[in-house]
Amino acid sequence: MLFAAIGEADVAPWIVFAVSVSMLFASTVEQHARYTLLPMVLVAVLLAVGVSADDGMLGYATLALVAFVHAATAVRHSRIGAISLVLAGISTAVAAIAVGSDQVVLAFWASLVAIALRAGVMPLHFGVVHLGDKVAALQAQQFASTLALVFLHLRFVDHHPTAYELAPILVRIGAVATLLPALAALVQRDLRGLYRCTVAMHGGMLLAAVGAAGHGHYAAALLVSVTTCLGVCGFGLMVSALEQRAGRVSLEGLGGRFRAFPRLGAAFAFFGACGVGMPGTAGFIADDLFLHALWEESVLGTVLVVLGSALLAVATIRGYTRVFLGPPCASPAPDLLLGERLVAALLAILLVLLGVVPNLILGPAAALLGS
Amino acid sequence: MSALRDLVPGCLVATIAAPAAAVVCVALIALVSRERTTERVALVLVGIALAVSLAASAIVALAACGLFGEAVTGEVDFGAWLSVGSYEVPAVLLVDTPAVVFSLLAAALTALVARFSKTYLHREPGFVRFYVLLGMFAAGTQLVAFAGALDLMFAGWELLGWSSALFIGFFHERAEPARSSVRAFTTYRICDIGFLLAIVATHELIGSTRIFALPAAALLPTSVTTAIAAMFLFAALGKSAQLPFSGWLPRAMEGPTPSSALFYGGVSVHAGLYLLLRVWPMLEAAPAVEFVGVAIGLSTAVYATLVARTNSDAKGTLAHATLAQVGLMLAEICAGYRELALLHLTGHALLRVWQYLRAPNAIHDAHRIGHEHVVPSFLLRSRPHLAKRLYAAALHRWRLDERLDRAIAPVLWLARKIDVVERRLAAFVHAGDDSRTNDRRGQDPRGGAS
Repeated sequence: MLFAAIGEADVAPWIVFAVSVSMLFASTVEQHARYTLLPMVLVAVLLAVGVSADDGMLGYATLALVAFVHAATAVRHSRIGAISLVLAGISTAVAAIAVGSDQVVLAFWASLVAIALRAGVMPLHFGVVHLGDKVAALQAQQFASTLALVFLHLRFVDHHPTAYELAPILVRIGAVATLLPALAALVQRDLRGLYRCTVAMHGGMLLAAVGAAGHGHYAAALLVSVTTCLGVCGFGLMVSALEQRAGRVSLEGLGGRFRAFPRLGAAFAFFGACGVGMPGTAGFIADDLFLHALWEESVLGTVLVVLGSALLAVATIRGYTRVFLGPPCASPAPDLLLGERLVAALLAILLVLLGVVPNLILGPAAALLGS
Repeated sequence: MSALRDLVPGCLVATIAAPAAAVVCVALIALVSRERTTERVALVLVGIALAVSLAASAIVALAACGLFGEAVTGEVDFGAWLSVGSYEVPAVLLVDTPAVVFSLLAAALTALVARFSKTYLHREPGFVRFYVLLGMFAAGTQLVAFAGALDLMFAGWELLGWSSALFIGFFHERAEPARSSVRAFTTYRICDIGFLLAIVATHELIGSTRIFALPAAALLPTSVTTAIAAMFLFAALGKSAQLPFSGWLPRAMEGPTPSSALFYGGVSVHAGLYLLLRVWPMLEAAPAVEFVGVAIGLSTAVYATLVARTNSDAKGTLAHATLAQVGLMLAEICAGYRELALLHLTGHALLRVWQYLRAPNAIHDAHRIGHEHVVPSFLLRSRPHLAKRLYAAALHRWRLDERLDRAIAPVLWLARKIDVVERRLAAFVHAGDDSRTNDRRGQDPRGGAS
């Protein structure tokens, strides 16, 4: 309804593109990232072509190229990350060919494998989380195009009977893949471990959401992917910003960094909370919508996901207290710099905007993808 | 007069939106500005917002009493908050006696505590943070009070939980508040699982999460209604610190005194009871849950009374005294005395906030005047052995926290096993890669584990 004058369905791809580009922009704050502007611009152009394409083959082909660009940028930092991205790129290329030759079942599976690799669904998460360990900016960039990949999946291959039949199974697998990393997050001894588990847990949620979309919950799946990508991207950038200032961060005792980095602490808490469904942010709406969609597929799956979300919330606040609270630790490093603050504010505004006015994305998504 | 009646929908929105907007403004200013945000900015923005919220709440209360003509009660619909296909979360607020009483009570106490804290926390590090959290809490309580749908209520409920945990860890330079904050938040989140599942189940089985639709629960099979009501009760037990989740409340006293007064004397600790008042039709259709609620409420009252008598600190004693009264209110609600419970809640909140705010002075007075001589109790005189055993048990709070820790130990054991397997797999997959690529990050000067 918000975009009735220009056609809600036409707006949906551009909203996805805008969110993706915001994440690309966010990745530029990574201080030590050594990449040129060219791959970023190339990725942005390819994303624009990919999400706006009315032809599934063209869309998937451009996203396969994007995956290869990410892999080429990643290879210097993380070989396993690059391999994972290449595999995802090959899967996406297979999906493109399959869509072009009307092999929708093959396209569905290939697209699903690519999403699982890119989102970091346990146990396929090693490449993506290693990439995040090495260069958070690249992780943010690849999340930007993961969102576009999910959008294409929902748009072109998820309306097939195979998706309908597989929905309950995918939901259960996704639910288990949500719970296991959430449990592991409770006992992490360093911040990287917590971030790794956070990525894997959200990957599981994304898989469950994409599975539930097989029964028509497209808008819920899209909102979950937007929230997941934005929240994890923001959280990852804050973790990276902290590690640039304090080195590897232990969760064994109390770090007491709040006095040295108050803004970083606040932003860390915000993005962490958003990922576990804090009200007023898109995370809350996504969880609400997602759980209603899940319940229709599997009550047990719903219970597992709710449990996983609660456990990750506990792990997140434990991480926050261990990193920022406690006897103060002096640091010569500055708090968030202006560029970092602007990026954090941009991501936060997007998350709050979609949390307060969810129909901004749900209306166009439902109009284009069906509901 | 009719013009004032027309203001009611706007006032309802203002009670919630004003503090929320203030929080967003202060947070954005703090994040983007080059200088540290001053006390004055936070005080003015949040102070004005709380005043607006209180005034709006008062107008709604007067309208509900019929002061502006016909009494304004019932649902005020603002359309759909989110709508996808047949699924919809209505943006609906509900005006009735419990809502108006809880809203006005919360708004008045929050404004009072804000004024008190202006002096009490002046020049304390974290003054701005205190007011941001106070605004967040105010928005949450007003949303809980007026929510006409369970989804909206859960949003407010969660805001209460987050703000409560952050308030407990307010004095972040000490270790104990940090640990207490995690314990309280863990209890909240685990119990919130019940609320969340109950909301989803209610929507799927009744077709709506509107409070007005809940009487339809009577048409469901008793087993289903009992399961949903039990989930609501579970959520309420966590928020209101009833047995077996009472351990976090005395630990929550680590926060600043004004927030302890507001949260654990005035408003937040009563939110679980308010939830049960809202979902009363569901409880009424599940007699087994009502019975359990009465039993837990009375048990908590006995437990807290005994513990309060052995406490040697003022805030700890007040916390257990609060628990005892909240336990009695829970029993009243589950026994069907809802109006009595609402009256009890209001009186108790007002008295307790006053006691908490006065606690520092009371300690000072006690030191000056001296302690009253304690006369041995009847139990100590007639059954000294039993009295000593009870005293020892109460002194250790019946080892409630240790028992809960033992109950969750298997979960942590499983978590460690999963972590070990994941790390071994990761080490196998990453073999060679880590040695090839140099990690650009240094080591934590505090000796972080990798």
